Amino acid sequence: MEATVLYNVPHEIPWQVYIPLYFYFTGLSAGSFILSTLSTVFGIKRFKPMALPAAIISFLLLLLAPVCLILDLYQPSRFWHTLVPEYFNRMSALSFGSWLLTIYPIANLIYIYYIFVHNDRVTRVLGMITVPLAIFVHAYTGFAFALVRARAWWHSALMPGFFLTSALLSGIALLVVVALLMDRFRQDKLDEELYTSLRLMMVGILVTDLFWNGSFWLTLFVSTADGYASVWYALHEKLYVYGEIGAGMLVPLAILILPWTKQNRTWLCVASLLIIGGVFLMRYSVVFIGYEIPLS
Amino acid sequence: MKEQEQGIVQLRGREPGSVESAGTQSGPARVKRLGMLVDQHRCIGCHSCTIACKSENNVPPGYWRSWIKGIQKGTFPDVGNFYLRRLCNQCDVAPCVQVCPVQATVRREEDGVVVMYYGKCIGCGMCIGACPYDARFFNPFRHTADKCDFCVARIDQGLEPACVQACVSGALIFGDLDDPASEIARQLARTASTVIKPELGTRPKVFYIQAEHSLKGRIKYSDEFRQGILEYHNHIPSSDASYWKRGR
Repeated sequence: MEATVLYNVPHEIPWQVYIPLYFYFTGLSAGSFILSTLSTVFGIKRFKPMALPAAIISFLLLLLAPVCLILDLYQPSRFWHTLVPEYFNRMSALSFGSWLLTIYPIANLIYIYYIFVHNDRVTRVLGMITVPLAIFVHAYTGFAFALVRARAWWHSALMPGFFLTSALLSGIALLVVVALLMDRFRQDKLDEELYTSLRLMMVGILVTDLFWNGSFWLTLFVSTADGYASVWYALHEKLYVYGEIGAGMLVPLAILILPWTKQNRTWLCVASLLIIGGVFLMRYSVVFIGYEIPLS
Repeated sequence: MKEQEQGIVQLRGREPGSVESAGTQSGPARVKRLGMLVDQHRCIGCHSCTIACKSENNVPPGYWRSWIKGIQKGTFPDVGNFYLRRLCNQCDVAPCVQVCPVQATVRREEDGVVVMYYGKCIGCGMCIGACPYDARFFNPFRHTADKCDFCVARIDQGLEPACVQACVSGALIFGDLDDPASEIARQLARTASTVIKPELGTRPKVFYIQAEHSLKGRIKYSDEFRQGILEYHNHIPSSDASYWKRGR
């Protein structure tokens, strides 16, 4: 039956680009932090030179992240309401998130101090405490979406995992760029094996991310009308198809596994920069494709 | 028998003040569950409720707390216009209450109405994304989230919401769902009614009689809904509604 909408009221999208930026910064931060703990907690000596720079990057990004969140609020001066225990909503991922986002930078700073003074034993203990915090501070953003039943594009059990792997991916890619810069301007050169392991980690996580994406498409195509519409809309969105999937995942994956590009440092840098951009586009498309599916 | 007769009389024309009498009957301490029944068979699509809502609640231009969604089906001569009166569904299990990080929107214990505490709201926008009915929006003057609250200032005074009072055809019935003597409870007991998106388990307290299914659904308003999704911005009602863009 042909039906024409005579009139209806859609409401505007309340969020600006700050929200995907916020997810992006916490993701980068969590990813860098986990890389930093590879040597201090998990004892992989190869990553030792990266421990301090990774932790410092992680902390600096954590300063940016809440700024983005507060900038997006309609009542920025009331941001402290999220930390009033009386207002705490135990059903809300955002309530937990605002506490995590307060505690995690402090823990991070203490951890950096102990790396700086080369106290390996304390660093290890602090790292063990802070790694779960880093994981949760990013996983909660995935849960904030996964717990919204209204929007099929968000309401998925895969979402927290997808957010975490993307966070790790962007963290590694950022550290590759930092490592390349360090190599260029420092006397003692970094181990070639470090690059190989970082590259292999990126390949592994890129494949995982592509797997997540494929799972999303398949399940949404046979889901409700909303789910079908979301994936239909997404596959018509140039930023998603060419930006996130193409330039952000497939091209870097090709660069990292093809035999004539994988050993080249310039190509490695290009691939890392593409991944850094692609992960931002992933946050962007999760937020805004979810919002653009009309509900009224 | 007498009960039934009364029901028919009330169906034809609502008695003003039936809400308060139901409330006083069972004492002031009783917990109520206020709800609304929208009889789409009676709705003529006049938008009186939309206008009454806007003027009662000072809703800024370009924004609506409640509105009418209308579609036209078929081709001449077999053609029909159908309307769906939209407002906050006052869910018993409200997704907006669940996601609010500062408890700025809560379900009131005494009557089940989901209200906003504007002074608490930080304006994060999570509730707007979480509402399955798109009933929430940012109020550009108040700088907080805003939504229909059954005219909470009026119902606290024992009045009906503004839309119910404004309805010309008696299509809106407001009252206590838990009071078996109230008009809404009696109508609901006798009539087949639906809610919007029951599958989400939000347990809405706004019920519909004879609502057209393609209106209640989300995007599937025609067989060409794939194209409709890609051209959704063309369906915006007013020409100056440039706010339907990313960000603000």
